[in-house]
Amino acid sequence: MEIALIGNPNTGKTSLFNNLTGSYEYVGNWSGVTVEKKVGVFKNNIGHLIDLPGVYTLNPLSKDEGVVTSFFLNESVDRLLNILDASQLERNLHLTLQLLEFEKPALIGLNMIDVANKRGIHIDASKLSEVLGVPVVPVVARSGKGCDKLVDVIATKSIQPTKKNLVYYGKEVEEAITLLTAKISGKTNHSARFLAIQYFEGNDYVKDYVNSIADAEKLEAITANLELQLQKLYESKSLANFIYLKRKEVIESIVADVARKSNSDIPLSEKIDSIVTNRYVGMPIFLLLMYLMFMLTFDWLGTPLSDGLDALLTGPVTVGFEKVLTAINASEFIHALIINGLVAGVGGVLVFVPQIFILFFFISLLEDSGYMARVALVMDRIMESVGLNGKAFIPMMIGFGCNVPGIMAARTIETPRERLLTILLTPLMSCSARLPVYALFVGAFFAGNKAFVVLSLYVLGIVVALILAKIFSSTILKSETSLFVIELPPYRLPQFQSLWRSTWDKGKGFVRKAGTFIFAGSVFIWLLSYAGPNGLNVDMDHSYLAAIGNAIAPIFAPIGFSTWQASASLITGFLAKEAIISTMNIIYFVPNDASLQGLLADYYTPLAAYSFMVFILLYIPCLATVATIYKETTSKKWTAFSMIYAFAIAYVLSLIIYQGGRLLGFV
Amino acid sequence: MFGSLKAGDKGKIIDISHVGHLVQRRLLDLGITEGSEVCVKCVMPFGGPIMIESCGQCVGIRRREAVQIEVERI
Repeated sequence: MEIALIGNPNTGKTSLFNNLTGSYEYVGNWSGVTVEKKVGVFKNNIGHLIDLPGVYTLNPLSKDEGVVTSFFLNESVDRLLNILDASQLERNLHLTLQLLEFEKPALIGLNMIDVANKRGIHIDASKLSEVLGVPVVPVVARSGKGCDKLVDVIATKSIQPTKKNLVYYGKEVEEAITLLTAKISGKTNHSARFLAIQYFEGNDYVKDYVNSIADAEKLEAITANLELQLQKLYESKSLANFIYLKRKEVIESIVADVARKSNSDIPLSEKIDSIVTNRYVGMPIFLLLMYLMFMLTFDWLGTPLSDGLDALLTGPVTVGFEKVLTAINASEFIHALIINGLVAGVGGVLVFVPQIFILFFFISLLEDSGYMARVALVMDRIMESVGLNGKAFIPMMIGFGCNVPGIMAARTIETPRERLLTILLTPLMSCSARLPVYALFVGAFFAGNKAFVVLSLYVLGIVVALILAKIFSSTILKSETSLFVIELPPYRLPQFQSLWRSTWDKGKGFVRKAGTFIFAGSVFIWLLSYAGPNGLNVDMDHSYLAAIGNAIAPIFAPIGFSTWQASASLITGFLAKEAIISTMNIIYFVPNDASLQGLLADYYTPLAAYSFMVFILLYIPCLATVATIYKETTSKKWTAFSMIYAFAIAYVLSLIIYQGGRLLGFV
Repeated sequence: MFGSLKAGDKGKIIDISHVGHLVQRRLLDLGITEGSEVCVKCVMPFGGPIMIESCGQCVGIRRREAVQIEVERI
């Protein structure tokens, strides 16, 4: 049984999803459009639960919302689980009424009854169920209260689609619905009434669908005629507005029936808001939080943990491997492959798992608590001045963890131009995979001000992104339309379970990459360094890897790192940024970071090291990111552009830093 | 006019038709339209967005759009 979970944004869909499904979930793609869908298996195995993006209505504005509409049109589903925010019943019911018109078996999870009660809103669930004609189960998704009952109801076989029409749209509209229905009935499996109403509302996805099965001109004529009638009779502004108002009338009478209001106290949320979005201290508070996040990740908490893991990997783990290899009499080749190739390559990346998880944890915390939307609000003024939108800040923040989900998060931006701009600039945000490179280099050259130097790179990424946004938006991506309306959900105390789950969801990709991509890459790089034109086990400087590196090394001479080692690691860095570390570990023959740091001092000056880090920050999005940019923009031109401009900017900036630094007397 | 309202002021929307189509649609999705009562929660500095509250939910909109919404003080 396939059950779709649908509801307004910020109604607790993710919490409910996590509570209803076990730890197992998989991510697939929608047919046709390559957009991720999250599918979970119910804890008691009654079927699959499909998590859909949050929408206010089925008539989409953004691409994210379009996913839901095309899901309804193109995929089959057995049951709809609609989650409602009890404290925002009126707004939520607009979606519910549309869902019920779809005439599939549906049921409602009435969430946040506790929040509603605190606000003095009491809802009679059984009465609501009676009025809507579908089961209504009160739940508290965050604590899991009521979820068992909900699962029981879902499992019940007898849920029947309601046949009654809840909304009567008035004589004229109903007549037009009948007319349009006659044109399409028999040609589709969907409810013709649903299609007709959505068509009248101006839903482009439905329009395309209906036009593909019926004569577009005739349908257009019906709509135009109806619009004219309504204008004449009721002076209605538009057909869509007329339909909206009819629904609103019905909703008002439903709410009057089922909800009771009493006195309420001021939610804590508003008290917090008066501080964090305060006109004077809002921005400083944001910067302070960022600072704390970086210090915890790179200094106070992350570094000791990473050092501990490093000691474990280079000590007991390496010794263990060597013992086993000796015990089984492994050949010298295998021995070198495992110790110098795999342990050095994969281990060098794994060391950074603690820091990356800490970073992901904080990003999840910002998302879950509701602060992220406030950040978008606080940042909008700055973003607007460079032709972007406060909402673009969220993909960029997520991009600090990993650029791939960041670029996907840009879907929530409604206007195509701002979305494209955000997609192009998100790769400039320093993702967690670039972190190991910084950690290694700051450890070797800037031990005194680690966090400060790393922070300077992050800030540089942001500043470059803002400047480029201004340049792009006033040259190649010019347009006037911009949309910024953002819902600020109430603050919620994040729950450990959901925090851990979303941290793990984000971080597991990094671990998996270490086990697959970096693993294979390490073997390959090691082989290239082990073999040369003169045979196997050659001196590293005469290996194939050195030959490749030497070929391109002269390009990097003006920016401070003309060694073949640097060039070779930059090539692998395109596959995955953390591969730079594995490559260096293999090239420099050292199994751990501590000794690698010592060696690096022979090859780089501090200035060249900083230039190198800046280059790594900007030079080219990694392979996975490039693939995502292509998927999201479906444009080869923009994908190529994202790679080329990044490389050019990286080169120019590194050149300025290195040559400028030399002129100023740094070395 | 919305522009004349300060943080803490309350008003009722009487005309929203001068606002861009997309913003109007999105506000409608959030249940904010003509006749809605709104309360200005805070106004960001340097011409930044304003935060309004309506029916217990907070929404951020840009100053540019806010001044196009006609509001009657209550």
